[in-house]
Amino acid sequence: MTSPAPPSISALPRGHEFAPVPFAVAPGDVRAYLAAVGDAHDYRGLVPPLAAVALGLAALQAQLSLPGGALHTGQEVEQLAPVRAGERLTLSGRIAQRSERHGSVIAVIEFDIAARGDTALRARTTIIAPGEGA
Amino acid sequence: MPIPPVTRTLSQAQLEAYADASGDHNPVHIDPEFARTTPFGGTIAHGMLVLALIGEMMYAALGERWAAAGRLKVRFRAPARPGDTITASAQPAGDGAYSVQCANERGEVLVEGRASVGGAA
Repeated sequence: MTSPAPPSISALPRGHEFAPVPFAVAPGDVRAYLAAVGDAHDYRGLVPPLAAVALGLAALQAQLSLPGGALHTGQEVEQLAPVRAGERLTLSGRIAQRSERHGSVIAVIEFDIAARGDTALRARTTIIAPGEGA
Repeated sequence: MPIPPVTRTLSQAQLEAYADASGDHNPVHIDPEFARTTPFGGTIAHGMLVLALIGEMMYAALGERWAAAGRLKVRFRAPARPGDTITASAQPAGDGAYSVQCANERGEVLVEGRASVGGAA
């Protein structure tokens, strides 16, 4: 039995709240991220802010799908406290903005990542995606 | 404080590695046949892969302060393609923040915005 596909970002209304997602960024995840981006620095057990954003978005994939033509058009990140590899994290997110233009949907996903009970990172990701009728 | 630039040439293999590492398998990044049907005419890099050059540059200059309190706000203005040589650079913005960008070897600005640590970005 397979789970139903998550809804497309194009179908989600402004104000939609995602269920909080528990996740962790394992040391191996950080190594794989750094190898992929070609960054040879030693982060001394910390998760690079942009790795936390990328893997946070991955943690939302059970609740959100992006159609093949979706493009990332903007990114904000504010690191409030260090995130350590392997620690328990919780992502809370919502569709903060949504508009339509020329058959495409422009959506802003706003999310927080909490570590040790406090918000460690805030992010806003802007995506443009084909509309439902496209 | 001057921040040294970071330059790297992208490859299709790197896009595929980033897709696996990030879980973002959007076919416009990893499926050349699909990508040929898009307005881009071929695969393009994940915006976050290009942006990672700015993250690397800021960490190299600021170390753990960046990992603990970095702030970044950017727009993705144009796509990067496999084979492009991308340079991330930063210029002081006069208020403790930096104007940052990624540009290709033709001088096209692909990503631009502001970065800071624990201040207004």
